[in-house]
Amino acid sequence: MPAFSDYNPIVVFIYFLTVAGLAMFIMNPVILGISLFGALICFRSRTRGKKDRSSGLFIGLFLLLALLNPLFHHNGATVLFLINDNPITLEALLYGFTSATMVVSVIYWFRSFSLLMTGDRLLYVFGKVSPKFSLMLSMSLRYIPLFATQARKIKASRKALGLWKEDNLWDAVKGGIRGFICLAGWSLENGIITVDSMEARGYGSGKRSFYSRYSFSLWDLGMLILILALTSVVIVSKAMGALDFGFYPRIGGELMTGAAAGAYACYTVLVLLPLGQIIREAGYGREKERKNGNH
Amino acid sequence: MEIIKAEDLNFTYALGKTPALKNVSFSVSRGDLVAVCGATGSGKSTLLRLLKKEIAPVGDQRGRIFFGYIKDGKEGGFGFKNVEDMSTRESAEKIGFVMQDPEHQIVTDKVWHELAFGLENLGVKNDAIRRRVSEMASYFGIESWFEKNVNELSGGQKQLLNLAAVMVMQPEVLLLDEPTAQLDPIAAADFIATVAKLNRETALTVIITEHRLENVIPVATKLMALEDGRLTAYGEVRKTVAALAKDPKMLVGMPAAVRLFSRLSAKGECPLDVCEGRRFIEDNCVNEIRSLPVKTENRNHETALCFKNVGFRYDNRGADVIRNMSFEVREGEIFCLLGGNGSGKSTTLGLASGVLKENSGKIEIFGKKIKDHKGGALYRECVAMLPQDVRTLFIYDTVKEELKEVEFSPEMLPFDLSPLEDRHPYDLSGGEQQLLGLAKVLSAKPKLLLMDEPTKGLDAYAKKEIAGVLRELKKRGLTILFVTHDVEFAAAVADRCALVFRGEVTSEGETHEFFAANNFYTTAVNRMTRGFYDGLLRVREVEEIIRLNGGHKE
Amino acid sequence: MVVIKNNRIRNIIKILIPFVLIPAAVVVGVFVFDDRSYAFISLVVALLSVLLFVAGFEKRRTGTGRMAIVTIMVALTVTGRFVPYFKPVVALTVITGIYLGGEAGFLVGAMAAVISNFYFGQGPWTPFQMLAWGMIGLVAGFMGEVLKKGRIPLAVYGFFSGLFFSFVMDVWTVLWYNKTMDWNLYVEALVTAIPFTAIYVISNVFYLMILKKPIGGKLERICLKYRL
Repeated sequence: MPAFSDYNPIVVFIYFLTVAGLAMFIMNPVILGISLFGALICFRSRTRGKKDRSSGLFIGLFLLLALLNPLFHHNGATVLFLINDNPITLEALLYGFTSATMVVSVIYWFRSFSLLMTGDRLLYVFGKVSPKFSLMLSMSLRYIPLFATQARKIKASRKALGLWKEDNLWDAVKGGIRGFICLAGWSLENGIITVDSMEARGYGSGKRSFYSRYSFSLWDLGMLILILALTSVVIVSKAMGALDFGFYPRIGGELMTGAAAGAYACYTVLVLLPLGQIIREAGYGREKERKNGNH
Repeated sequence: MEIIKAEDLNFTYALGKTPALKNVSFSVSRGDLVAVCGATGSGKSTLLRLLKKEIAPVGDQRGRIFFGYIKDGKEGGFGFKNVEDMSTRESAEKIGFVMQDPEHQIVTDKVWHELAFGLENLGVKNDAIRRRVSEMASYFGIESWFEKNVNELSGGQKQLLNLAAVMVMQPEVLLLDEPTAQLDPIAAADFIATVAKLNRETALTVIITEHRLENVIPVATKLMALEDGRLTAYGEVRKTVAALAKDPKMLVGMPAAVRLFSRLSAKGECPLDVCEGRRFIEDNCVNEIRSLPVKTENRNHETALCFKNVGFRYDNRGADVIRNMSFEVREGEIFCLLGGNGSGKSTTLGLASGVLKENSGKIEIFGKKIKDHKGGALYRECVAMLPQDVRTLFIYDTVKEELKEVEFSPEMLPFDLSPLEDRHPYDLSGGEQQLLGLAKVLSAKPKLLLMDEPTKGLDAYAKKEIAGVLRELKKRGLTILFVTHDVEFAAAVADRCALVFRGEVTSEGETHEFFAANNFYTTAVNRMTRGFYDGLLRVREVEEIIRLNGGHKE
Repeated sequence: MVVIKNNRIRNIIKILIPFVLIPAAVVVGVFVFDDRSYAFISLVVALLSVLLFVAGFEKRRTGTGRMAIVTIMVALTVTGRFVPYFKPVVALTVITGIYLGGEAGFLVGAMAAVISNFYFGQGPWTPFQMLAWGMIGLVAGFMGEVLKKGRIPLAVYGFFSGLFFSFVMDVWTVLWYNKTMDWNLYVEALVTAIPFTAIYVISNVFYLMILKKPIGGKLERICLKYRL
């Protein structure tokens, strides 16, 4: 079985779209709990060994979002206490927590998405939609680090002439803007070389093909079918109302019906799909350790 | 069989008044490696671009250019077609073009994608692209950086990538427009060696214009000379060189042996490289007098800039880029730091200009630590730096406005910019841009001028001009510190030189002593005369010593 | 599989997107995800409008020079987004729109959003940012002649585009968090965002005033040089 990140980028792309999409639009505490759990595990499994410095920020965001709702929404039957004569209700608080879970889990899904869908892979997906757009993206990704380097050079050389002072804010701003204009001039003027280089290599001479190094194997097909099947089960359950859960005026709806349990199970499998390979890798790592230990 | 044939080619740019090419006729056979020489503005680039219709300049073209091809099918044999009648696709496929700037020719963000780019444009199928790209990467030995982002590559690697990205389309003719001008000497030699290998091993036809002819002449089969748009000589290298030898103006930028041969107005076979030059001297000259009298200059011994045990690293956890660096620049001298890529030369300039701060040791400018030059005083009538890329100083649309940004007055300059006043800075030639940059830098009225590779990308003519400017500035009392890869330039202008190696100064001395003590890292003339004569660095000196020894045998 | 070789099928798909998929998305949103999941609908609509624009761009023949300039402007805009707080993103998008036309303006805005979010964080907000910045560039293109001449129209445009961005993004914020449009929350979000909106407005007007002449001038010169 290939590593999850080795599947065809389109499969990975669709995976993230569905898993985050489902979380975004099913206001069901269990589904969202699974989503947050899966998103965190997926993200942590990709950043093993590295400290996630931003986790504090996201805990803060979670609490903020969770507590924001009861301050604005006062419907709900169970009044906990009053602030400025406004009732704070249990229902609104729970709704806030559920919403916060959704937002934070989706953010984490997208963080994993950024780690897995690196430049090349994303360009491949875009290339399937629009080769021209994809080429422009690729060119931009080539220009951005080039411009950053040139911006540093501009700053150094203008500083060493006293043309870019940083003694006070206004001087710094003026220096920065002139530096930017310099960069704009440099990049636009030199762009003509790029144009020549493209045309010299036949750009615009006819229909382009799109070179990709990713193939679509049976594994990819299998994974895609699995993802779509699991997603369909959840969507169908949702459409049939099995996942409905009301917050106002009173928390209502059965969370644990049989139909719902099926959807939960499917969604759990879905969020854990990226881990298949991790588990194998971990096993491989242990095996390697054992081997090394023997030596 | 001829593959390129030009007949009575005349060309005038759309906005130009005088023709850029006049009655140019020549033909190139398959497998030729043609070196084209001529000053900036002689029409070299125009000629090359006219051979490639997608990027041909706009203007009035008369006369015709033919591309020779092998006929399809039963007919067999050869045919000619007008370059203008080729489809863009055919031209893209058959004629490859590599330009000077390694950076901006690259289109995409990954090495592998850049290699595939041309084939994608031709609509080649995925499998075929994969095969050709991997073949190319193997041939060029770029497998190890195949997956990399292009911005991680060095300048030399970028230019090799540009070459590979053209070769992957399997062209029959390769046009190279000053491909090594922006490269350091080692990368330049590598690049030319690769081109020569392609020419030899695949019968690829190559037409190349170059500033640094010493690398190209030995591998070229033909030499073409252009002057003011006219073809002045064309043919087998040695014969053409001999024909050009009468015209010293055409020889700037030629290998040292050729220039010596020409200066002596010698007859017979013209030597082309160091080996042949050596043989020529040993066979034709005597060495009773082995060295020239040493000119002693009265030198000021006040220190302008002093580095004492300076250490520096960019990143606190990283390795030292500069370690234990010590040297002194005296007032009124031209001091040169030489060294390879990544030796720490440019970083040293960054430290001297106060843009970077040393981690240890002491840097003094005119007896005062950098941080004691308070409130921008360092950049007011004290230190100024000419950056490696002078375009980092340009932001306006005319030369006049550029000069207005700084407090410029024309009498500060040993050269005249007024004819360029209304031009756009980016429309100037490389040498003119350098002078404009220098004008901006000198407006700060520095006492110590720092220069980062002042000859990068310049042709031999512009280099001569810059050398003259530096000497004139020195006469006016300026102290100059510059770093360069260019051994010949350093030998021509510096009073003292130092070699930087891995962030340290490893040798230092008066220019003549410095180079005489080096065996490899020295001028071609020095390598050519070593042991026979002592301490000679420049063609002019060899000429003089031969004269002192009674001239050469006829 | 995913590559559609047949041109006719391609064209049919391009027609399908606006006339079938967008309504379908709305219907699915209404029936499957409650009758209140406007967030889903709005996201799909935003995504599809961007896709639609890109599809149109894909079909048109664009000169190499034009494409390169737009790409350079995108990269400059992304580089500009690294300026702390006061970002020239909208100003550069507008300038591109004025000098290179609405399509170029849209592309610069939309592409700058999706690319810079590689560095600043991708999320479901990306399509909205693309759409908002893209629209600002597109409209600037339509109003090119007016904006090119006067400083006052330009300042006014910068001012309103700052407001527009905040108003659009806050609609999304509220929909995302709350599923349905809640005017109280929306007003609250707008009020909380006042410092940010102020920064948008100030930087738009400031950068437009300062950058329009030099960068616009360079664009004009380059267009001549690239023979556009």
